[in-house]
Amino acid sequence: MLPLILAVLAQADGDLLPRLQRRDAQALAELYDRYGGMVYRLILRIVRDSGIAEDLVQETFLRVWNRAGGFDSERGALGPWLLAVARNRAIDYLRTQGRRTETVMGLNETEHPALFADFAAQALDLHLAQQVRRALEALGTQQRELIELAYFEGLSQSEIAKRLGQPLGTVKTWMRRALQQMREGLGWKGAVSA
Amino acid sequence: MRCADLQPDCLLYALGTLEEPESTEMRTHLESGCANCAARMKEARALAYSMGAALDGPAPPRRLRARVLAAAGADTQRHLSWYAGWAAACAAALIGAVLIFYQNRRFQGDMALVRAEIERRSSEAAALREALHLIQAPETREVTFGHSETTPPRGRIFVNPAGVLIVATHLPAPPQGRAYEMWVIHGGRPQPAGLFQSDPQGNAIHLYRPSSPVAQSDVIAVTLESEAGSSTPTSTPVIAAPL
Repeated sequence: MLPLILAVLAQADGDLLPRLQRRDAQALAELYDRYGGMVYRLILRIVRDSGIAEDLVQETFLRVWNRAGGFDSERGALGPWLLAVARNRAIDYLRTQGRRTETVMGLNETEHPALFADFAAQALDLHLAQQVRRALEALGTQQRELIELAYFEGLSQSEIAKRLGQPLGTVKTWMRRALQQMREGLGWKGAVSA
Repeated sequence: MRCADLQPDCLLYALGTLEEPESTEMRTHLESGCANCAARMKEARALAYSMGAALDGPAPPRRLRARVLAAAGADTQRHLSWYAGWAAACAAALIGAVLIFYQNRRFQGDMALVRAEIERRSSEAAALREALHLIQAPETREVTFGHSETTPPRGRIFVNPAGVLIVATHLPAPPQGRAYEMWVIHGGRPQPAGLFQSDPQGNAIHLYRPSSPVAQSDVIAVTLESEAGSSTPTSTPVIAAPL
C-alpha cells in the first residue's frame, strides 16, 4: 500500500508544479495541505517558538510560490525543495537574532531549484524518513548532538567545536564517524571510488 | 582531492555548513562531473530531506493555512469570504447608521423635550421673579377675592401700574378648548388682560404685563372664554374683584 501511496503522491507533486507555475491558487492550497505540517514541525524544531514558526512557514510558502518558475516541471521535487527553503528560513532567523556569531556557506545555495531535479521518487519516500529517524536514534548522544547542531542550527564544524569546547579536528572526526554510522544504519554502503 | 576525502562531507555540503576551503573543493569537484560523488551528493540531500520530514511534533494551527494562502493572494475561499465579509461589514455599517440615525432622532427628540422643559421652567422662573418683584413693589395694591363667598375660587390680586398678578385656588380646570381670560375693567369697559389655565389641583397664577401702564381700574374679573381669547367677556365672571 505504501509504495502505491507514494507513487500517487509523486504523481500529484508532478501535477502541482506546472499548476504552481501558472499561479493556480488551488495548487498552492494542495501544496500546503501536503507539506504544511512537515514544514511547520521542522521550523518549530529549529526556532522553538510557535509564533515565529508561523511567520516562517508563511515566508517559506511565499518563497516557493514566487519561485516555482525556476523548477523543471518534469523532474522537480517540491517536497525536498520546500523543506530546504523552510530550514534555511529558520536558520536565517536564528542568525539574525544573534544566536550565531558567524556564518558559513550561504544557505541559499542549498535551496537552488536545480538541486532538487530528478529527486522526487527518492525524496518522497516517507519510509526512508522513518529509517533516518531510527538511524539517528541509534547514534550515541554525542554523535546525535553533532548531527543535530549541523542540521537544526546550521552550525559549521568550527562553530560546533567552539560550542562543545572541542578541537576542530576532533569534531571533524566525530562528525565523519557519525555520518558513516548513519549510512550504515540506512544500508548505504556504496563503495567510494578514488 | 580524492573522492574518498570529499564524500564524508557530502551531508555537511548539502546542509550548507561545510566550511572553506572544503566547500569550494567540493563544488569544484562536483562541477567536474564526477558521477560517483554526484550520486553520493544526491544521497546526502535525500538524507537531509528525510531528517526534516521525519520529525514528530504538533500540527500547525488551522488558521495558518488561511494565512499562508491569503499572503500569497491565492486563497479563493478567502476572496469569497472577503466579499462576504465586505458585504457583512456594509450591512453592519448600514444597520449601525440606521440605529445611530434613530438614536440620534430619539436623542434629538429627548433634547427637544429637555429644552422645552428648561424653557418652560425658565419662563416660569422668570414669571415668578416678575410676580415677586410686583408683589414687593411699594405701589402695589393687594385685594382678596372669594373669601366671603360660599363657593370658591379664592385668591389674591396684586395691582400696580406695571401689571396685574392674580393668584387663585379652587379654580376648576377649564373644559376642552376653553381658557380663563382676565379683564381689567375701568368705567364699565373691560380690557383683555391675558389668557391662563389652572393646573389639575385648581391652582392658577397669571401675570399681566401691559405694554403701557395699567390705567386706573375698578374691577379685575376672570371669565371662561375660548382658547383663542375674546375681545370682550362672553360669559359670567368666575372671579370679580373690586379694587
